[in-house]
Amino acid sequence: MKHRKLFAAAATTAALALLLTGCGAGGSSGSADPTNIHPTGDIKPREISWLLSRPADGGVITAMKQIADEYAKDHPGFSLNLISTPDRPSYIQKYETLAAANQLPELFDTDATPFAQKLAKQGKMMDATALLKDLGVYDDYRPAALNYQRFDDGSLYMVPFEFQLEFFWYNKALFQQAGVQIPTSLDDIPAMCTKLRAAGITPIALDGQDQWPLERYMSYYPFRTAGPDYIQSLKKGDAKLSDSTGTAAVNWLSTLGTAGCFQDGFSSTGYSDAQASFTSGKAAVYNIGTWELGSLATDKLDPAIRDNIDYFTLPVTKGSVTDANEYVSPSGIGMAVNSKTYDPLVRDFLSFALKRYPAVYAATGALSPTTNVSTTIPANATPLYQRAVDQANTVGDKTAMPWDTQLDPTSNTRLQQELTLLLQGETKPDEFISTMDGVIGENGPKAFK
Amino acid sequence: MLPQRSRLSVLIFLIPPLALYGIAVLLPIFQSLFLSFFDWDGISPMTFVGAENYITMLTGDTVFWKAFGNTLGYVAICLVLQLGGALIVASLLTLLRRGREVVKTLYLLPAVISTVAIAFLFQRVYSLDPVGLINQVLAFIGLGNVQHAWLSDVSTVLAAVSIPEGWRFTGLYMLIIYAALLAVPAELEEAAKIDGASWWQTFWRIRFPYIRPVWITTTVLATTNALRGFDIPYLLTNGGPGQSSELLTTYMYKTAFTSTNYGYASAISVFVVIECLVAVGIIFLILRRKADA
Repeated sequence: MKHRKLFAAAATTAALALLLTGCGAGGSSGSADPTNIHPTGDIKPREISWLLSRPADGGVITAMKQIADEYAKDHPGFSLNLISTPDRPSYIQKYETLAAANQLPELFDTDATPFAQKLAKQGKMMDATALLKDLGVYDDYRPAALNYQRFDDGSLYMVPFEFQLEFFWYNKALFQQAGVQIPTSLDDIPAMCTKLRAAGITPIALDGQDQWPLERYMSYYPFRTAGPDYIQSLKKGDAKLSDSTGTAAVNWLSTLGTAGCFQDGFSSTGYSDAQASFTSGKAAVYNIGTWELGSLATDKLDPAIRDNIDYFTLPVTKGSVTDANEYVSPSGIGMAVNSKTYDPLVRDFLSFALKRYPAVYAATGALSPTTNVSTTIPANATPLYQRAVDQANTVGDKTAMPWDTQLDPTSNTRLQQELTLLLQGETKPDEFISTMDGVIGENGPKAFK
Repeated sequence: MLPQRSRLSVLIFLIPPLALYGIAVLLPIFQSLFLSFFDWDGISPMTFVGAENYITMLTGDTVFWKAFGNTLGYVAICLVLQLGGALIVASLLTLLRRGREVVKTLYLLPAVISTVAIAFLFQRVYSLDPVGLINQVLAFIGLGNVQHAWLSDVSTVLAAVSIPEGWRFTGLYMLIIYAALLAVPAELEEAAKIDGASWWQTFWRIRFPYIRPVWITTTVLATTNALRGFDIPYLLTNGGPGQSSELLTTYMYKTAFTSTNYGYASAISVFVVIECLVAVGIIFLILRRKADA
């Protein structure tokens, strides 16, 4: 009798567990139509939240705080709750967990990843093309800024808030000391590193801890030799690293490792230590975007090396299929609008904010994702600041997409791990290629089916 | 035998913590077990895949086995530092006549510092550029040529991420063992000394058998804690370089929250639960058998 009761209790617990698990599974799709950008009803001010992955004191948050305050003056009861997790891996975990629980807030940041595409297909994100066109701001955006946010099928579900150019910053004095010239081809970089090393200079400062900076180097060679389509094919398993494009890229990376291009122990060097290595005049080259203009092209920089800083853009290769003015020009993580919570208030706020944003953001000294404003050059800027800002107008049509936003997450994690081993000389190029082709072949087609 | 009313009151008092334990511990384990038979990314419908996750994990996943090997290495280093270190310090502490409280507090201090702070601290300690504490000391004593990026070298990184975890809890286990050592009757040790027993004989024949029950508990605690170790390796290296410091727990976390492969991650978590139970079983078996011998 007792045993039967016990068994009944255990069975009830198990059934409850299954039921609870089942409840959490799947999630429901957005209640609203993602193309219905004109929801009916009155604007009822309330707090809306934006789950974002941007620096707390950065230009985007500063500008949006100001805009939200302006909007709240005319709409008492409105407030914008900015929930920021600047560390990208932590952010992605938070956002994906909330998505799994169907608890995403009104606005949330995401790259054009396979996960985001699933959300879009399930109707959980508003169609950004329809939204921006309806608000009359679509044509203000730089095509490159919008293209960066698009999924492979060309659909657009994220709104850009930045426009960045990634340069190779270098120290002229250290180049002179080692007797090296700016590399005109990617193939010149290993020789440049060897000479700099011989002169006792760290060739390139790299933040290896965050892994995406090293992954950029993986994308450069194929972007030059095969164009932006290569990664689109590779991630689905249609192209292989074992083909000529992939092999050339991996061999080039391997030579960067053998030439000692990056500082010793680069894999455990963090973002600020890598930057400090360059800004203190220890490292000769530093590959970073215009979001660091405030640190690299203003009087914040040590006067001793300020005048020695310059930059060059991504070198080409022999027979390059992309032009010298085409390189990594991201518009940062985009903002998606949750279709489930989209209502007249969210629409009205976005209408106000997206029209006001470019001017407020450009006034902070940053490059706007739109072309209808000019960036205010800070009073403490060096001449390099203006030159970098002007460079945005000469960027070509094709963008080198960062591979971490392209590959499926499992392949991406493995690629980041294997890249470190390749550059440290722990694995040989052919081992690297066979491992990565295996991992992408197993996970890529599944993720992009 | 308790009277009927007392038994009822005992049951009433026992049920709430039991229910809490069921909800907080058993339910998630059952949920993981359930999920491990599915393929699920969190947002798409779940697909039943049977034992496929387990088959892939045990037969086709090289990273899983690498992480398992690393976990064993991590546990071994942590146990040597925590149990060995704790036993040595506790034994020395019993010899100390003054300042015991200060020493105890100092040793216990790392256990109360937040993990994130410890990770940052050790990141600086191990750093090569800028030169960290270890490399500075090496240079100072004339061993500048062995300066090293301890967290970037595949041959040193596992030890480098294990040491902070070992160091952190040595003080805690030292306190437990110290308390046990204090309970060893002094007359027994004195009698042994009079009979001509050496320090080692006294320790091995009298002290250690006396503290064996506490030693078993401490070993179980330290082993299961180390098997579940996650935060310091995750914060220090995120499992890198490559998979050199990847533990089952960090791999499980990445599989769940980066790859959003909740089914497969659940299979790993079930493995971690079984691994802990097996480890505890082995410890009991070894130490009990020794006690009976």
